[in-house]
Amino acid sequence: MEDNTEELENAFKEYSVAEFFKKNRQMLGYSGETRSLTTIVHEYVTNSLDACEDAKILPDIGVEVDALNARPKKTVIGEGDGSATEFDLEEQMCKASLFEVLVNGIKQKRPEEYVVKYGKRGKQNVKQVVFRQPPAEGTKIVGEWAIGHIRVTVEDNGTGLPQSKVGQALGMLLAGTKFHQQKQKRGQQGIGAAYATLFAQITTGKPTDFKTGTGNNKVYSGQVSIDVKKNVPVINGLQEAKGNYRGLKVSAEFAEVSYDRSDHGVYEYLRRTALANPHAQITLVEPDKSIVVFPRASDKIPAKPPKIKPHPLGLTTSDLIDMASVTSARKLSSFLSSDFTRISDDKANELSKLLPEIDFDKHPRKMSWVEAESIVHTFHRVKFNAPDLNTLRPIGAIQLEKSLKNLLEPEFLSVIQRKPKVFRGGIPFLVEVAVAYGGKAGAPSTSKEGEVMRFANRVPLLFDAGNCAITQAVKNVDWNRYNLKNLDEQPVSVFINFVSVHVPYTGAGKLAISAEEEIVSEIRMGLMDAARKVGYYLSGLKKAEDQEKRRKIFFKYIKEVAAALHDVTGKPKAGLEAAMRKIAESKTALKDEDEQEDEELLALEEDAEKEVEEENA
Amino acid sequence: MTAHELKKEKRIQEIIQKIDALGLELVKELEAGENPSLEIPIRGSSNIYFDEKNRKIRLGDKVSHRYLFNVSHARKFMQTMLVASYVKKDLLENNLTATLRDLYYAKKHTIEGTKEDTIDEQTESDQAIVDFEVALGTFRERLHLRAEPKGRMAGEMTVVDHVRDKSDRINLAKMGSGGWAVPSIVEQVEFDNVGVEYVLVAEKNAIFDRLNEDGYWMKNKCLLMTTAGQAARGARRLLQRLSDELKLPVYCLTDSDPYGWYIYSTMKYGSMALAHESERLGCEKMHFLGMSTTDIETYDLKSVTIKAKELDVKRATEMKNYDWFKSKPWQDEIDLFLKKRLKAEIQALSSKNLQYISKTYLPEKIAAQDFLP
Repeated sequence: MEDNTEELENAFKEYSVAEFFKKNRQMLGYSGETRSLTTIVHEYVTNSLDACEDAKILPDIGVEVDALNARPKKTVIGEGDGSATEFDLEEQMCKASLFEVLVNGIKQKRPEEYVVKYGKRGKQNVKQVVFRQPPAEGTKIVGEWAIGHIRVTVEDNGTGLPQSKVGQALGMLLAGTKFHQQKQKRGQQGIGAAYATLFAQITTGKPTDFKTGTGNNKVYSGQVSIDVKKNVPVINGLQEAKGNYRGLKVSAEFAEVSYDRSDHGVYEYLRRTALANPHAQITLVEPDKSIVVFPRASDKIPAKPPKIKPHPLGLTTSDLIDMASVTSARKLSSFLSSDFTRISDDKANELSKLLPEIDFDKHPRKMSWVEAESIVHTFHRVKFNAPDLNTLRPIGAIQLEKSLKNLLEPEFLSVIQRKPKVFRGGIPFLVEVAVAYGGKAGAPSTSKEGEVMRFANRVPLLFDAGNCAITQAVKNVDWNRYNLKNLDEQPVSVFINFVSVHVPYTGAGKLAISAEEEIVSEIRMGLMDAARKVGYYLSGLKKAEDQEKRRKIFFKYIKEVAAALHDVTGKPKAGLEAAMRKIAESKTALKDEDEQEDEELLALEEDAEKEVEEENA
Repeated sequence: MTAHELKKEKRIQEIIQKIDALGLELVKELEAGENPSLEIPIRGSSNIYFDEKNRKIRLGDKVSHRYLFNVSHARKFMQTMLVASYVKKDLLENNLTATLRDLYYAKKHTIEGTKEDTIDEQTESDQAIVDFEVALGTFRERLHLRAEPKGRMAGEMTVVDHVRDKSDRINLAKMGSGGWAVPSIVEQVEFDNVGVEYVLVAEKNAIFDRLNEDGYWMKNKCLLMTTAGQAARGARRLLQRLSDELKLPVYCLTDSDPYGWYIYSTMKYGSMALAHESERLGCEKMHFLGMSTTDIETYDLKSVTIKAKELDVKRATEMKNYDWFKSKPWQDEIDLFLKKRLKAEIQALSSKNLQYISKTYLPEKIAAQDFLP
């Protein structure tokens, strides 16, 4: 019986590995050259962060992206005329793994001097180079590009892997250490580093190099690949050396990926990861060997999230199937009552009565998709106790403030942590919002100024913004009211972290948070809280600017008026001037707030309060 | 010093004292750390009313305060002070008069440390002058500021004009074809040897020339005057003095159209723009002799009329609502105009013959006292 189950499991997995990956590459984040690379880095980096967190180590993560190219080609992409800033690229160049722009032979800096973005030419999507300053008339604009492989190397100072676990971690699909435990974790989004191994294997045929040590004076290195048919790891060239090394270094070569500094790229991913993880130090080496350090902002290691079982209300059909595939329970009923929180035997019984057509005594792995679907559906008809609020692990206002100050050096920063709320009638979540103004705030990678950074449990969400609850909430805020009209054009970074054990993603790709009413409304409230403070700051600035202008106007006429008044009264000019200066200064002093302006501010505040009341009603 | 000179010196001292008081008040405010301000009566339709009893367009008692330290007042405040300084120091203390344009050029310069001029356009300094007049409760002649002179006069009368320390006696019956040019300031003018029974004022130069050539004023014992369009301040003040001091009836002759009526009403009641000076510019005993719309019928001028334009109709409709056109004869006149929509120039009378105006029209109208009030 035992053997039979094992076989069954293997059969299931064997089928799933090759087929699943081939069919669902997109779903797993491997679509598009830039995005595939971001996904690879994401898998490695989240594993590293989790490994450090588990062992209460301050993470020190190095990421190196190296272009292993064929000889680069040079192609003229245009000629400057002193006004044009946009130049189209040929299709082939868009797929290049290495791409540089030279103006009259001088390499241009990205994103300081140019960005690459998608634009429209008629109905066709084309990639364009967009310069911030138009190249001078007669200059030759050349693209240097090559299509080749990219090597990604990620090294951390985490717990490292024991020799016996290396294969499982890097060479076996659905074998992550996370799947069995439910806690609020980053990896919920990642499909796993093993998929990166598989992706390297599929695109370049090369195995993944590793080096690891757990600090026990033994260092292992070698190459791992996946036997796709059997879904088992294959390790070659295993070497054992002595050394006081602790951590994991993974390095693999990929094709069909490309590196760029767009807001979907590795740079932006790491920048945002650093923002959401102030305790981590992340170093990136880019293909052109430039080194970017996102320095650690805080020495406080976040508290470990408690391990909890999933709550029925947060489940999707595929979650249920996935959990069934690894459960040790032998019956559907015991699977439900043992692997989930708040499903007692009684509740399981209640469910089985509501679903007479399903055999609750069958093995969980024999549950069909349709059956799983009706179970998930029926969860909503049973009254479960709400999950424990203690399971939420936000970044924390203090940590977040440190982090944003560290990386964005903003002129003004407003950080808000909202109180926990529930969605779907019982799943707790909370929202952290920060709005940074000025300094380095604003998108570094695009020609736009303002940026909205979405996070779910500290993981940056870079794709599918249009479908996301966060995007919708941002749109629902009247930024004008906070002196932030045309958010896109303001030097502003808006940071939103959605914290929950169950993030209701819109799809298996885990790119966007489902725009459920409670969530959108709560995020919007958080944004308004944070924006309000910025609004006050900006209206203060505006006031200072206005006062400065007023003072200039007053001072301008003082001499003329003093001279005229001297002509009329015979009083000494100097004394008259001095008296006028004094009055002009007090009239334009910042603390001397104009009544009218006070009223405006008061109205703003009242408005906001009214809005909050409406929301709550 | 003659009596006249003494009087003039006294007037100058009065104004200087007023300006001093205004300046010292500002200094007091400055010393107290207050925002210095000028109190200026509001000029504009919101503060203008028609004084039924005295038959004058007047300024109400609403005042505004112009602050130095108010972004929208500062520049005007400065310009008003430039006017004050110029009037006191350059004009009154030296017993000199100047034109509005003189003042504009005297006070226009670039403000130190900026690229801004104290005054851009003359309209700005003109405005500041009016503000200063009303703030002091006086008028610009007293400030020794002259407007452009306009208007000519002829008739059996002598005027004595004092120019600084010299007095000229001018016999208005000996002024030839051009007549005597009415100066912009007539305060200092005295009348002598008055041999006339009424004043006939025409808006048009051409009519003055016609009647002068015909010797109309000689035959009819009148003072003949032209305002050459809208009457200048000098002409208006002179008319008022002739009416008040010499008790002469004044008859007005304009074209038969809303513009003519307006010229008449300004001379008689004052204007909205200078409502603060109606007291010394209005000639409320003036009569409107013609041309009236009725005259077109009476004197059979239909064939030489001009069709009224949209603008004329609009203007007439507006004027019908003015308080000073509310008398029945004027309402009838305007109604008739609106009905017929015809205008006529005074020269239309020349269609009969050149001397029809002096030999027939005017004598008949005056004999019959066929006037509008």
